[in-house]
Amino acid sequence: MSLEITNAIVEAIPRFEGYVYPNESGTHPLWGFLIVLYPYITGLVAGAFIMASLVRVFRVKPLEPVYRLSLLTALAFLLCATLPLLFHLGHPERSFQIMITPHLTSPMAIFGFVYAWYLMAVLFLELWFDYREDFVEWSKTESGFRGILYRAFTLGVTDVSDKALALDHKLSWIISIVGIPSAFLLHGYVGFIFGSIKANPWWGNAIMPIIFILSAMVSGIALCVFNYMVLTWVRRRTLDLRCLDVMGMFLFYALVIDATVEALDWIHRAYSAEEGFHVMEYMAKERLFYTLSIGQVLVGTLIPLLLLGILQVLRKRIPDAVRKRMYFGSAVFILIGVLAMRWNVVMGGQFFSKSLRGVMSYKLEFAGVEGWFMGLILLSLPFIILTVLIKLFLAERLPTSGHVPHRMEGI
Amino acid sequence: MGNKLNPVGGGGWLPAGLASNQEADHMSRFKMPPQIFRLVLLTIGIVVSYLIARQLLTPASFRDFGFYRGAALEEVASRTPVYAGKKACDECHSEVLLKLAKGDHKTVSCETCHGVSQEHAGNPDITPVKLTGSHCIRCHEANPSRPAWFHQITVKNHYTGQKCTECHVPHQPNEVP
Ligand code: HEC
Ligand code: HEC
Ligand code: HEC
Ligand code: HEC
Repeated sequence: MSLEITNAIVEAIPRFEGYVYPNESGTHPLWGFLIVLYPYITGLVAGAFIMASLVRVFRVKPLEPVYRLSLLTALAFLLCATLPLLFHLGHPERSFQIMITPHLTSPMAIFGFVYAWYLMAVLFLELWFDYREDFVEWSKTESGFRGILYRAFTLGVTDVSDKALALDHKLSWIISIVGIPSAFLLHGYVGFIFGSIKANPWWGNAIMPIIFILSAMVSGIALCVFNYMVLTWVRRRTLDLRCLDVMGMFLFYALVIDATVEALDWIHRAYSAEEGFHVMEYMAKERLFYTLSIGQVLVGTLIPLLLLGILQVLRKRIPDAVRKRMYFGSAVFILIGVLAMRWNVVMGGQFFSKSLRGVMSYKLEFAGVEGWFMGLILLSLPFIILTVLIKLFLAERLPTSGHVPHRMEGI
Repeated sequence: MGNKLNPVGGGGWLPAGLASNQEADHMSRFKMPPQIFRLVLLTIGIVVSYLIARQLLTPASFRDFGFYRGAALEEVASRTPVYAGKKACDECHSEVLLKLAKGDHKTVSCETCHGVSQEHAGNPDITPVKLTGSHCIRCHEANPSRPAWFHQITVKNHYTGQKCTECHVPHQPNEVP
């Protein structure tokens, strides 16, 4: 009897269609291009920092010429890392409230802590200890605005005795060691934000943080290669080919590991073929064909793997000019490929959800806050900041103390 | 300048100082190195200015009841409304209301299509924004998340190039013009 009543009621309300997941409630995905840029930029920060720590912690001597450049790159990009989020949310003028009323249990709000830790406790400190001796030196010789700046940066400490410098050195070594897990945390966190979303088969995945970190390392090293080559070209200097070769080597290794883990992820998904897998297949073949199959797999992984692989095997036999071009090409391809990867993660995940009712679409507009023009501005901003930082802290006419981040003695 | 670093030597894997006696002496006297001292000062400065800023900038009613501004509801309620509501239109446009009530758009509010009209309802001289019909697709563009019974079109394939209102009567969507 009660069953009949229930049935009658169900019949009476035929217009009920089931639960709609949040990302399905609108015509367009809520997260647009800006949210694609956010993991991209943070990834570049983490990667560039790890690149620098290769010198400081792992003592890879040939990479010395790019040590400071990669730290400054990390800083420039870190300063811009929050901007995509702020612009996406609207009301960037309210952003201070996140600091005034910190929230400890929201995973989204934790980024504030991760970011503050990374910026203040890791990057600034490591840079300061590394530059302290130079600041003292430059504050004596420079006048005007620069002089004031350098004097301010010394924090009034002029002690550059051997003992003080040894302490600086020790501390930046420690900070660098703390910095490696911090960089992993910074970007692993971003991966976690996506990986922890259970309702979404594209995201909800425990190895998401690992994939994010690996691709971050790849993109960060590629960015350092790019910046180094552009900087030497702008300055009309000769490239340190040994440095480039070693960077290329690390780039190759990182890419191999990254590609393997990502392939493993896909193999795992394909074999376990959980409920949404056919949608994923469809996405890879249709909806995300250009960004996934072409952008991420072909341009971002296979071509650079081939180029860098050839370089590993035949390094000696390839003429320098060709070699440089191959490195530059791989760096650019990887940078594009990782951007495509972030796009696939962020947009792909929003195109469908566990209801598996269909696939949504997104069109990247030119204008507007979420448009690609805005994205381009946000992407060029770190390069502008980096230019200023280089002018201030890597100026050719300023003498450097000549100390090296990894210790020369005993190696 | 040359390399001034690590006069202590010692080599090995440890960084400068860790293995040195000189450093140990130094530590035992507990004299804070100047650069550390300045950093501590700076940190204290940052923390103190943060605490002051926090004191000044936290909204007064924050945490009155929970992790939000207690006065949030009153703040929102104190704003002047911009929507007038269907009833307000009845005064002068009752024929449209009657028409609308008969057709499939009966559940749709006037201002969903016409936009905020509080000002117009107060003063008819202020005319509401002219509608072109592009707002129709906000509801009717095909979307897998919409229930199947809802009438949906794929705009690309549905008589492109003409305004919706040329073929549909917005107030009576079941009628043919
Ligand atoms: C006080 C009377 C009054 C009220 C209340 C009122 N209107 Fe009007 N409305 C008018 C008059 C008079 C016109 C004709 C003005 C004109 O043609 O310029 C008009 C015209 C319109 C038009 C046509 C404008 C055009 O472009 O031709 C729209 C649409 C409209 N009203 C919507 C509304 C809505 C929606 C409401 C309820 C929120 C509303 N009106 C409430 C008096 C009113
Ligand atoms: C589905 C969207 C929609 C809703 C709901 C709607 N309108 Fe309209 N209305 C339109 C469009 C579109 C036009 C323009 C018609 C045209 O250009 O032929 C219009 C025109 C008008 C006009 C101008 C004269 C006329 O009758 O054509 C008035 C007045 C008006 N609407 C009032 C109302 C009022 C009052 C309500 C609420 C009871 C309402 N509308 C609800 C879409 C809507
Ligand atoms: C706020 C959302 C909304 C907007 C905007 C809207 N509609 Fe509708 N429309 C509905 C709803 C709800 C129904 C009733 C459910 C159904 O029949 O699909 C409906 C039904 C219809 C139907 C089907 C009538 C039938 O049964 O044959 C047509 C045609 C239609 N609308 C045309 C339009 C046009 C033209 C516009 C723009 C002037 C418009 N709609 C704007 C919500 C909207
Ligand atoms: C050239 C005339 C014409 C134009 C312009 C036009 N329609 Fe239609 N529309 C029709 C006809 C005829 C039907 C019914 C037969 C059909 O489905 O093609 C219809 C059906 C619909 C339906 C119901 C679909 C269903 O599944 O039954 C909706 C909703 C609709 N139109 C919305 C719109 C909207 C929104 C626009 C403007 C973007 C628009 N139409 C423009 C002629 C038109």
